[in-house]
Amino acid sequence: MQNPHRRHFLKISALSAGAMLVSVTLPLRTRSSSAQQPVSPQWCVYVSINRDNSVVMQSPIMEMGQFMRTAGPMILADEMDLDWSLIRFDLNMPTYLTRNRKGDLVYDHAQIGTGGSQTLKNNWTYLRTAGATIRRMMIEEAAERWDCSPERLTARLSQIIDTPTGRKFSYGDLAEKAARRQVDTNKLKLKQPAQFHIMGKNQPAIDARDIVTGAPLFGIDENYANALRVAIDRAPAMGAQIAGYDKKAALAVPGVRQVVEMPHESGPHWPDGETQLRAAGVAVLADSFWAAMRGKDALKTTWKDTHQYAGLNSKAHRETLKALARSDQPGKHLRDDGEVTRALQQADKVLEHCYERSFLAHACMEPLNCIADVRKDSATVVVGHQWPHAAALAVEEIAGIDALKVEVINKRMGGGFGRKGEADYLREAIWLSHKVGQPVQVIWTRENDMERDFFAPAAAVQIRAGVKQGRIHGWHMRHAQTAGEAESHNFPAHLVRDCRIESLAGNEPFPLGTWRGPRQMQQAFAIESMLDELAHAAAADPLAFRLALMEPAKAHPIDYWAADHLDSGRMARCYRSAAEMAGWGRKLEKGEGLGIAGHVTFGTYVAFVLQVHVDDNKQLSLQKAWGAIDCGFAVNPNHIRAQMEGGFIDGLNAALFNEAVIEDSRVQTRNFGQLRWMRMGETPLEIETEIIESDREPTGVGEPPVPPAPAALANAIFAASGLRLRRMPFSEHIRI
Amino acid sequence: MAIHFSVNQQEVEVGPGEEEMPLLWFLREKLRLTGSKFGCGIGQCGACTVHINGTAVRSCLLPVGQLQGSQIRTIEGLAPTGQLHPVQQAWLDQDVPQCGYCQAGQIMAAVSLLERINQPTDQQISDNMTNICRCGTYTRIRKAIRQAAETHAEKPVTEA
Repeated sequence: MQNPHRRHFLKISALSAGAMLVSVTLPLRTRSSSAQQPVSPQWCVYVSINRDNSVVMQSPIMEMGQFMRTAGPMILADEMDLDWSLIRFDLNMPTYLTRNRKGDLVYDHAQIGTGGSQTLKNNWTYLRTAGATIRRMMIEEAAERWDCSPERLTARLSQIIDTPTGRKFSYGDLAEKAARRQVDTNKLKLKQPAQFHIMGKNQPAIDARDIVTGAPLFGIDENYANALRVAIDRAPAMGAQIAGYDKKAALAVPGVRQVVEMPHESGPHWPDGETQLRAAGVAVLADSFWAAMRGKDALKTTWKDTHQYAGLNSKAHRETLKALARSDQPGKHLRDDGEVTRALQQADKVLEHCYERSFLAHACMEPLNCIADVRKDSATVVVGHQWPHAAALAVEEIAGIDALKVEVINKRMGGGFGRKGEADYLREAIWLSHKVGQPVQVIWTRENDMERDFFAPAAAVQIRAGVKQGRIHGWHMRHAQTAGEAESHNFPAHLVRDCRIESLAGNEPFPLGTWRGPRQMQQAFAIESMLDELAHAAAADPLAFRLALMEPAKAHPIDYWAADHLDSGRMARCYRSAAEMAGWGRKLEKGEGLGIAGHVTFGTYVAFVLQVHVDDNKQLSLQKAWGAIDCGFAVNPNHIRAQMEGGFIDGLNAALFNEAVIEDSRVQTRNFGQLRWMRMGETPLEIETEIIESDREPTGVGEPPVPPAPAALANAIFAASGLRLRRMPFSEHIRI
Repeated sequence: MAIHFSVNQQEVEVGPGEEEMPLLWFLREKLRLTGSKFGCGIGQCGACTVHINGTAVRSCLLPVGQLQGSQIRTIEGLAPTGQLHPVQQAWLDQDVPQCGYCQAGQIMAAVSLLERINQPTDQQISDNMTNICRCGTYTRIRKAIRQAAETHAEKPVTEA
C-alpha cells in the first residue's frame, strides 16, 4: 500500500472500471476560513459511486466501540440522499494529513481522531456540508442534462427526480461528470431533521457481521510482511533501570532473532507535571510472538530502582488527598458565589462528607500493539490509535522522516477509553523499527498493559453543605486530585446562591492519562451522593429534592470548551424520565432500594435510576437500571442506547472494583486475577433507556453515561440497606 | 509420536518443539486463525474461548501437546457454509458488539452453554457466561442468548 494521498486516490479511481471517486472543491471555503480548526478545501474522499449506482464508503472517523464507523457514514449518506442499502462499507479508515499555514500537522478532510466525546460534534457540520455538496452537484448535473432549473429537482435514495415529468437519473449515471462540477456554497441547503431518512433511525453497526465471524479487524490480527514479533520485558518499578539480563539464553530460544535494550523516557504529561512516559525494557524480537514471550522469560532481567519515582504508593496517596481535601489549606478558587461561610452558619443543618475515588485502570480488551515499518525516507505504521496523526508525528520526531511521508493504516481499536490516545506504544515500535531497520510488531502482554497504564487520577472531594427550610443553603466543595484541576461549572453551581468550589492537587508523579469522563465521575459521585444525603437530612424525597433544586428551568451560560450553557430544565427532564420509567415511589420488597443520580458531561445530560437488593449479610445484587439521556438530536438511537448500557456498566465497575494499586512504585494489579472486573452475573439484568427528543445539534454519548453510575449505586445501596458508601471501590465495604 | 488434532475439521500436526505452545498462539500464529483473541494470558478473561470436543475452553494456557486426537472448533468454524450460526445471528439482531474484541469468545461460550442447556434460566446464563466484556455489552449478550434459546426451541442446533 502507498500513501493515501488525494492525487493517488484520483489515479486509482481513474483506473478502476466504472468507479469514480468524488472529491469536491468548495471555492468559497479556504484553508484560512477557520482559525481554530484549519480545514482543507478538498472534501469528501470517503465516497466512491459506481456506474451501477452502488457506493463504496470508507469511514471518516476512527472506531473504538463508540460506533463512529456507523455514525460518520450515516451523516454523510443522509445529506447525500443515498440509498443506505446500496452502500458497501470498505474496512479502511484512511488518514489524510496536511500542514496548516503555521506548519502544524493537521487532519485533512474529516477530523478522524476520537476522544472527549467530541467526535460527532467535530464532524457534524463538515460531513453534512460535504454530503449536501455532493447532492447539489448531482442536482446541477441533472439540471444541465435536462436543461431545466435545478430548483425543480429533488434527490431521493440515490436518484435525482424531476417530479413534474417523473424522469430520473441515478447517481451512477451522473457521478462521473458531476464530480467535476464546482458548486456555489450559497446554494447548499442542509436538511431539516424532519427530512433525515437515515439519521434518527436505529441502524445496526455496519461491521457487526465481521465481528461475529471473527474477521481480522484489529491491529493485533495483522500479519505484516517480514515483521518481527516483539515482546518487551519492562521495568517493574517506575523509573527502574536495567541491571542485567541473559541475552544468550533469550537468543537460544528457537525463533528469537534479536535482543535490544529500550531506554527509559520521562517527560511532561497530562494533566500536569513530569512522569515516566516509557519504562526501560529489553525487547525480544522473534519470528512469532510466542517465541518472543519465551525469549523474554529466558532473559531473567534484573533491575535497579532509581530515586526519581521511588516510594510511590497509591493507598498512601489516597490518604494524602483525603487529608488535603479536609484541611484548611486554601485551594484554587474555581468559583466563589455569594457568602458561603455565612450561608452555612445560617443553615438549619450542615452536612460534611468526603467522597473518594482510587486510580482507575483502562484495561482495554485488546492489549496495546503497534506495527512500525520505518524505511529510509518513508514509513508505515499499522495501529489502532485514537489520534492517528500522533503516529506520523512520532516517526518524524524519532526517525527524522517528514510526517507527510508516513502512511498510517488505521485499525479498529479493541477498546480505547483514553488509553489509546497515548503515544508510548507508537513511539517504542517506531523507535525499535528505526533501530533494527526492519518492520516490527510489538504486542503488550496484559501485565505490561496494566503495569504501564496512565491511570485516571485518584480524587477526594470534601463537601460542606447546608439545608434551610428544605432547600440547599450554602455549598462548599473542595476537590483534591492527584494532579490537574477539577471542573467548576456543574450543578448545583448556578442553582445555589452561596457556592464555593476549590481545587487542590496532590502532585505526586504517578503516570496519569485521560479516561472515560473521570473528572465528571469524581464530581458526580460527590455531588449526587451529597444531594441524596441532604435530601434525607431534610426529610425530602431524593427525586423531589433534585427537581426542586432544578427549578426554575433555565439555561445558565458557562465558559467551558465543550458546551456554552448548562440547562437545569434539561437535567430535570432526565431525572423525571428515568424516575418515571423506574416507577419511582412504588412499593419495593424488603432489601430492595432505588437510587437516582445524574450529571451533565460535555454538554450531554444523563440521569439513571438503579434498583439493587442488599440482604442481611450485606450481599449486594444489581437488579435493573433505567436511564434517560438528552444528547440533542439522536443520530442513531440504537447506538445511543448501547452506550447508555455499556457506559453505565463501566461506571458501576469503577464504583465496585476498578482500583489500580501501586506499592513502592510497582503496580500490584497486574492482570484480571488481581484487578477484579465486572462480569455478567454482577450486572443488572436489564438497562432501559429513554432518549429525550430534541432538534438541537447532537452532543457526544461515549462518556456521559459513565459519571452518574457510582452515585446511583451508592444512593441505591443506602435506600436498600441504610449503608452509606463514600469510598470507591465499594467492593471493599459490601459483598458482591 | 507427533501430536495430531483437528481444527474446524481440518487435520493439523504439531511440529517438533511446539508441544508447549498454547493452543491460542498455535491458532493465531501457526494457522493464522485470529478470531480467537489474546486478552489476559492467564485464562481469566475468556477472549480466547474455543471448543475442545464440544466444551468451551480458554485456549491461552493450554499446550497443544495435550490435544492428541481432539476436535477443536473456533469462531471461524461456526458458520462453515457462510450461513450464520443462530447464536451469531442473535448477536447481529441484538447488535451486541461495541469494540468487538471479546465477542468471538463470548459467542463460543454462549454456543457451548446452549448446546448443554438449551433453555437456560437467567441464573444459568450468569453462572456460565463468565467472560469479561470491557465495553459492558452484558445486557445485550443476555438478550441475544435468550433469543438464540428461542430459536433453539424451534429448531435444534446441530454440531457443525
